[in-house]
Amino acid sequence: MEKADLSHHIFSRFNDDLERLRTSVLQMGGLVEEQFATAVQALVNGDTAAAHRVVGNDHRVNAMEVSIDEDCNRILATRSPAASDLRLIVAVIKTITDLERIGDEAEKIGYIGSRLAAMERPADRYREIKHLGHAVEQMLHHALDAFARLDADAALETAKRDRMIDEEYEAIQRQCITFMMEDPRSIRRAIDVLWVARAIERIGDHAKNICEYVVYMVHGKDVRHIRIEDVEQELKARSKSSVS
Amino acid sequence: MPFQGHGIGRSNIAWQLFMQLAAYLAVFVFLGWIFGNTAGWVVFGLFGYLFVQMRNFWGLYRWVRFRSVLQPPNLSGHWGELTSLIARIYRRKQYHKQRVANLLREFRRLTGGMPDGAALLGANNELLWFNPKAERWLGLMRKRDVGLRIENLVRYPAFIQYLETGDFSHSVTVLQSDAQRWLSIHLVQAQGSKQKLLIARDVTYEMRIEAMRKDFVANASHELRSPLTVIAGYLDALADDTELDQTWQEPVREMRRQSERMRTLIEELLHLSRLESTLQQSYPVDVVGLLTLLRRDALSLPTCPMNIVLQIDTNAGLMGAESDLQSVFSNLISNAVKYTPSQGKVVIRWWVDSEGGHLSVADTGIGIAAEDLPRLTERFYRVDSGRSREQGGFGLGLAIVKHGLQRHDATLTIESEIGKGSTFVCHFPLERLVMQTVPKVVNN
Repeated sequence: MEKADLSHHIFSRFNDDLERLRTSVLQMGGLVEEQFATAVQALVNGDTAAAHRVVGNDHRVNAMEVSIDEDCNRILATRSPAASDLRLIVAVIKTITDLERIGDEAEKIGYIGSRLAAMERPADRYREIKHLGHAVEQMLHHALDAFARLDADAALETAKRDRMIDEEYEAIQRQCITFMMEDPRSIRRAIDVLWVARAIERIGDHAKNICEYVVYMVHGKDVRHIRIEDVEQELKARSKSSVS
Repeated sequence: MPFQGHGIGRSNIAWQLFMQLAAYLAVFVFLGWIFGNTAGWVVFGLFGYLFVQMRNFWGLYRWVRFRSVLQPPNLSGHWGELTSLIARIYRRKQYHKQRVANLLREFRRLTGGMPDGAALLGANNELLWFNPKAERWLGLMRKRDVGLRIENLVRYPAFIQYLETGDFSHSVTVLQSDAQRWLSIHLVQAQGSKQKLLIARDVTYEMRIEAMRKDFVANASHELRSPLTVIAGYLDALADDTELDQTWQEPVREMRRQSERMRTLIEELLHLSRLESTLQQSYPVDVVGLLTLLRRDALSLPTCPMNIVLQIDTNAGLMGAESDLQSVFSNLISNAVKYTPSQGKVVIRWWVDSEGGHLSVADTGIGIAAEDLPRLTERFYRVDSGRSREQGGFGLGLAIVKHGLQRHDATLTIESEIGKGSTFVCHFPLERLVMQTVPKVVNN
């Protein structure tokens, strides 16, 4: 399904509806991206004001989820879409749930960030969190780009990065445990850092989910809970058989 | 066969073809007349004619379709003329194509070397073209993204809001968090066209300088405050000392005045940097009560104009920080009082209309020249430095007003005429208004 596919309807209103739906999902994605980036930055820089801003903006993400959900319901009820259009709407409904969760995780990071700002900062200035945060920010960005371009290959490529992020999360976990054993006074902070790392890792998982919806939307294939390499091979085989 | 060069008219050619065919047929009719069986000869002749034409057609077709167009086949008669015509048209087209391609290449090279990112958007904000810088900064993909809507790929909320409002008089600045790059994005709408030009500029350096300036002012003022407190303390003690030598009394008093001035300056700078950086908490502020208090303060000043009128048209309040609003209003009122002679008049008006709440402070003072108006809210800007220093100003008052208003989503407009007086109006948006504040008793 390419972008031209979205404009094949005789009813141009339907086209407009679908196009607008896609744009509003990506708009919500943009807001979530910014929330997440600001939250991580606020934590790393100890910027309480920015952390509060993230917490205060979460309701906007929630409101967008509700309004997009309503749009989907309306389109389903009035247009009864089929095939790729139906897949688009199903993917949208799922994507916004994940985006909303990412927003919640960002809010959580904001909360913890404002608490950590009041505490003494560690010597490494949360370098690991910054690094992990940037990796996940990029992953989320690429996932949404793949959604915008309906690019299943890029989506699969992005989904593969989740494994690296899991590894990095485990490294932070080990590091935090070491800190706690060395100096029991740092336990409170280390637990907070752990929570943040966990939230970032969860955001990575949600980004991966979005990638899977992109594959579903483009190829009509459900790729959840399957190893990505297997999916790639199958899709390759399928495209070959369709060519020959 | 008679054959003329190029430049014969179309109807001429048709006539010639007709004559040719007629002559050809006449030959065969003549042969048939001599040898008998006229019909047979004519049919034979026609077949021959058809064969020649078909062969020529086939040659021309093969040439246009498959062969290189540069060497035309050697065809007989009018067919040859046709091929040379086609070859000429083709050469001309080739030449123009080459020229356009060269221009395009030149254009690509120029836009590629441009220091800014540029993109062309269509009527629905779809991408039509972009240069390599825009590709890199905005994360676009060449070829793939042409035709996609820009807001799907450039998803900064600030940018989307900018795109939706349709007001392109200013630019919007966004932070790319992964590259730590600040981009200033500006849209330009061509007149009479639905296409838009997007220009992205890297303003990281400017933003860094700006942050450094803010930090410096805040830190420097903070650091200056403590030594100054010590100095002022000793000067206070000295000034009150009755046993101080007569010759030192005046210098000590002067030093005390100057240290007081310095303290006020530092306080104002700190206040300004607080306004720029911290988050404000909003709660309902009783504007009417605040203005009443401020008027009373102004009246108690030694050099106040006789007439300070408070005109309250509504008892609406504002959502905001009371201390910020107080400093905004008191700066406006004290400015008006300062620059108005004692027989002049100051009118403070607070009213609400369909656009929001408005507070105006009008005076009949000396007024401000038109060329000074745009720079009035800059820090340390003074219309006439000698005069305002006399009045004890630092040039920070209106900067504080501007920042204080910005934090309340409000705007400031200034109207003024030299010698007639000035009017400062603050415009607050509707969503900031609170209608249910309990009005305090206004006693003038």
